[in-house]
Amino acid sequence: MSFATIYRVFFKRNAVFVGTIFAAGFVFQPLFDSGITSWYEAHNKGKLWKDVKAQLQLVGDEEAADDE
Amino acid sequence: MLAQRLNGAKLLSNSSRLLGSRCLSSSIVSRNSTYRTPDFGSNVKQDRDADKSRSYAYFMVGSLGLLSSVGAKSTVETFVTSMTASSDILAMAKVEVNLAAIPEGKNVVVKWQGKPVFIRHRTPREIQEANSVDVASLKDPQTDADRVQDPQWLVMLGICTHLGCVPIGESGDFDGWFCPCHGSHYDISGRIRKGPAPLNLEIPKYELDGDKLVVG
Repeated sequence: MSFATIYRVFFKRNAVFVGTIFAAGFVFQPLFDSGITSWYEAHNKGKLWKDVKAQLQLVGDEEAADDE
Repeated sequence: MLAQRLNGAKLLSNSSRLLGSRCLSSSIVSRNSTYRTPDFGSNVKQDRDADKSRSYAYFMVGSLGLLSSVGAKSTVETFVTSMTASSDILAMAKVEVNLAAIPEGKNVVVKWQGKPVFIRHRTPREIQEANSVDVASLKDPQTDADRVQDPQWLVMLGICTHLGCVPIGESGDFDGWFCPCHGSHYDISGRIRKGPAPLNLEIPKYELDGDKLVVG
């Protein structure tokens, strides 16, 4: 697709331009959100509550096993 | 000299070429002006693609618009979601009852949003009795079918429609419910039959799913 076609399809009519931006926003937002979340969780691995909770449960199970 | 200048400034339109190289305006003053536009030809890219640079500029403008609109959207969403009920309130909004534990002919009272909910597992005789009543003779005419999803299970709010007392089950003149405060008698379908209450006992929104009842 040449640049002239891109211009004619997306940019020439303002309604199409703005509409494309808003439509792309709805696609972009969840992708951005999940991307940032997965990066944050990877960066803080081991410190998050879900990791700590799994560890605590592991310890709790061991203690329960000791009690028996 | 003129030709050279024309070569350099390719963007000039035909009309301005007719008028002279230096301007886009066709006014008398500008035509008579002696100002000479500098030659920018050496600064113009040789293999310049106007469509490409224009598309690039629009793409950049659009990207900024995209980021701003997403930012605005999530800001609005934050405020709107802050107005919705929190999860602890949502959890209180429903109550789940295991119907298998209720034997036939027994009442169960559960608390739902601070209000008592009567659940009765009706016997076939009681269902028949509820259906045999002449609807036209009732104070608040309602058929039994309008009040139950499954005739076996009668689910209703246990609040007397008179002044809000809690009626007593399996009592009263009609073997249904009896309100001790002012003597309202309800039948086996929870309809008002005698006493000061103006309306039948209210039916909450509920769903029956096999042996599971969800009120709310």
